[in-house]
Amino acid sequence: MVPLWQRPPRAVYLHVPFCRRRCGYCNFTLVAGRSDLIQPYLDSIALEMAAYDDLPCQVDTIFLGGGTPSQVRDDHWRQLAAMLHRNFPLSADGEWSVEVNPEDVDRGYLEQLRTDGVTRVSLGVQSLSDDKLRTLEREHTGQQARDAIQLAIDIMDTVSADLIFAAPNETLSRWKDDLASVIDLGVDHISTYGLTFEQGAAFWSQRGKGLLKTVGEELELDMYLLAIESLIGAGFEHYEISNFARPGNRCRHNECYWTGATYHAIGPGAARHLKGRRETNHRSTTEYLRRLQEGRSPVAESDEADDRERALEVLVFGLRRIDGVDRDWFLANTGFNLDDLGGQALQEYRGEGWLQDDGRRIALSRRGLVISDSLWGRLLAS
Amino acid sequence: MQLVGLIWPCNGLNRRLSENLNRRDGLNLTSIPTKNIRNFCIIAHIDHGKSTLADRMLESTGTVENRNQKTQLLDDMELERARGITIKARAVAMKYRLGETTYELNLIDTPGHVDFQYEVSRSMACCEGALLVVDAFQGVEAQTVANTYAAVDQELTILPVINKIDLQNARVDEIIAEIEQTLGIDGTEAMPVSAKTGVGIDDLLTTIIERVPAPVGDPDGPLQAMVFDSHYDAYRGVITYVRVINGRLRRGEKIRFLRGGSTHELMEVGQFRPQQIACDELSAGQVGYVICNIKSLSQVHVGDTIGTVKHSAEPLTGYKEPNRMVYCGLYPSDGQDFSELRDALNKLAINDPSFEFEPETSDALGFGFRCGFLGLLHMEIVQQRLEQESSVDLVQTAPNVTYEIALTTGKVLEIHKPQDVPNVGDIEEFRQPIVRVNFVLPVEYIGSTIKLCQDRRGIRQGTEYLSPTRAMLTYDLPLAEVIYDLHDKLKSATRGYGTMDYELLGYFPADLVKLDMLVNGKCVDALSVICHRADADRRGRAVAKKLKSEIERHMFEVAVQAAIGSRVIARETVPALRKNVTAKCYGGDISRKKKLWAKQREGKKRMKSIGKVDIPQKAFMAVLDTGQE
Repeated sequence: MVPLWQRPPRAVYLHVPFCRRRCGYCNFTLVAGRSDLIQPYLDSIALEMAAYDDLPCQVDTIFLGGGTPSQVRDDHWRQLAAMLHRNFPLSADGEWSVEVNPEDVDRGYLEQLRTDGVTRVSLGVQSLSDDKLRTLEREHTGQQARDAIQLAIDIMDTVSADLIFAAPNETLSRWKDDLASVIDLGVDHISTYGLTFEQGAAFWSQRGKGLLKTVGEELELDMYLLAIESLIGAGFEHYEISNFARPGNRCRHNECYWTGATYHAIGPGAARHLKGRRETNHRSTTEYLRRLQEGRSPVAESDEADDRERALEVLVFGLRRIDGVDRDWFLANTGFNLDDLGGQALQEYRGEGWLQDDGRRIALSRRGLVISDSLWGRLLAS
Repeated sequence: MQLVGLIWPCNGLNRRLSENLNRRDGLNLTSIPTKNIRNFCIIAHIDHGKSTLADRMLESTGTVENRNQKTQLLDDMELERARGITIKARAVAMKYRLGETTYELNLIDTPGHVDFQYEVSRSMACCEGALLVVDAFQGVEAQTVANTYAAVDQELTILPVINKIDLQNARVDEIIAEIEQTLGIDGTEAMPVSAKTGVGIDDLLTTIIERVPAPVGDPDGPLQAMVFDSHYDAYRGVITYVRVINGRLRRGEKIRFLRGGSTHELMEVGQFRPQQIACDELSAGQVGYVICNIKSLSQVHVGDTIGTVKHSAEPLTGYKEPNRMVYCGLYPSDGQDFSELRDALNKLAINDPSFEFEPETSDALGFGFRCGFLGLLHMEIVQQRLEQESSVDLVQTAPNVTYEIALTTGKVLEIHKPQDVPNVGDIEEFRQPIVRVNFVLPVEYIGSTIKLCQDRRGIRQGTEYLSPTRAMLTYDLPLAEVIYDLHDKLKSATRGYGTMDYELLGYFPADLVKLDMLVNGKCVDALSVICHRADADRRGRAVAKKLKSEIERHMFEVAVQAAIGSRVIARETVPALRKNVTAKCYGGDISRKKKLWAKQREGKKRMKSIGKVDIPQKAFMAVLDTGQE
């Protein structure tokens, strides 16, 4: 048996670091207002791809994340698409996702994406309420978001919307409205995130100075539970902690991450998993560009684990999937017996009711789901 | 030959220098008759200039030259210098010519802090006189009072000295009135000096010779020498400080510690001038040192008497075992460091016989040591030394005083830790140490100080007005109430102007209980405290609250309870963690999260687990929270 982490990759992630401006909650790898760097960036990712000896490599999924991939337009887009076609040809029935901001959406752009092979757009909607969008320092209005969703549904195979909850001053009923509107608009997939305060984001220091009022843990929990209930009620499958899809519309690319698969990654701050090794490119876009122009490796961090640790990773990240982890699948794909590996921690978590176990499969219970971050550390140390 | 680069304590080089000096000068202080010897100490409140005055006298008598002085020659260890407190007594022999006669003046330095009261009393027992130094601006303070009373008890001749008369705001006349009023000493005898400028020092030296009585011992009588201090020298072993009361100490002779019982050969006798200078003998009335190849300070007891091996005289009176009043547990943060901590404590104990420790086990903290100290300052000093001299991370439990428990069986237990308190049914009487505290403060702070004492169950013994603006309050207080924070509280209640000192009165019965802290139903031994029954509710609530704030939320509810026996008197709940789920986890987050979790695991290692509850080390000091404002 070849374990998961030694198998050849069937996925590629491309990080596109450009944004018009940085939103208050964001600490991602990006450069704001530097469209002048798009061409050097395209040149650099070409250099990065050229350095791999296994390309072209056929893949089942491509994901363009950001930043804002929809900032790369027209000729720049054509260069990018061509590069991907050449190096990462998509298999028949493959999935190609692109993150798109509502304010960038127009018919021509979406049709171009579709023509070039993109199957799925993930819209950075965040909310349909103007107030909340302003609080989050987003560039678009609620109406722009509605229009973008409708247009995307019209043109693309699969449309996903990202929603943020627990924004400063948000109430449960406002959140309910957001959920209902997005469901009504008919998206196929919803990713929903509680607002987090990250070091390096503007909100972090604003909260520190008492300028931003957080909604509180209880309300945030209620909002999360409301999302689960409403979306399941509307026919969505809750398939990962923060991801919901109508049947047949799960994001296959993201499922790679949670099932321990290997994947290529290109661009600043991009993280890859190849041959049992996890590597992350330098997070600074300018440093990334410099390194590649100078013929140096863009890799800033590298982490090689032993097989046991890798199998534990598969277990921990696999449990983020609501379906959980199947014992037979686990043994066949990692070479480890799940119960031997997770030992005492699993037993205790079952006892506490944080895990459910039907004998074949273990999965988070609802109670375990909401405190799941407290479970991983110990499990990983098993 | 000059003494160049004199440093203190003496090292090998200085020893050689002093031996040369001895031969060349042919100095022989020992030929001085008893009637020309004066032994005295200096008593003063902290910062009233004791050490500076001593330095000035050393200089005026030519014992040291000004340029060779390191300021405050009598304070030895670096730590003492850093804290500005004299911990160990020292003795310096000075030669001073008055008219046709050469006198030997022995200055015995005394520790200034109440923790070292016993050492003070032994040092004073070696003197016939005491200089009472009072700051010309600050006036009489609490320590001045306490030490003067001690000197009166020893029947010393007291010479009042008003120091710092060079100060612009010196108020000499008022201070003289205070001295008369408080201490009952004739103010007309007060000598104004400035140790800083040297004004009045020669007069002072003359007065010492005229007024301090000469020793009355018999050089030809049976040997009796009082041990008043000792220190450990890495090269020479224990150096024992003595005052010969009767007879002679001669190099090469055999002696016996009459209390300790050990017998030794005198390898060297000598005096500090201020460096060690050997001589052939020390005779009745003289103060100096002996070296007898002793390897541990634990063999030499302050207050012991040196006598002859055969037909020895009676030991001198006043000897006591060191009285450890404060105990705390010291545990290595990392259980692996246990033996390293033991080595470090052993090393400290060699240099400090009044510090003791023994292994103890706590369910909560694992293997560690219960350590006994003379007082809270002593505890802090030992801790600081541990930190400086070893690399072990420590968890310290809250300090407690020693209690006495009379059992129904008639047996009396000495209790050094709350865990040792027996079942309520077996206790006939629970006794705690009571101290008499003198506060000296400006009159406008009397009210706030009285409140401070009342809150701590103090019993007022009296109020005396030192002057129209200053008063002395006397209270009897439980030592436990005094040691934790009374000094700090006094300073804030009196804007820094109040001073205090205290002496132990003894053990007295009180309505005391053992207050236990339970975490999820499990008693955490290291968190138990002994307190007054009437304070238990307030204390229990305060500690439970404090613990609640120190314990992080777990995935389950954590109940923190305070209990007396089986009766719960306070409860706080650390609510269960309701939500801990990070939304996003995609490709790049995997490595990042793995690092984060590894870091969290490291953090947990530094906590102590009680059942499934992780308790941070800081929480073990939570029991000091008295719930008082």
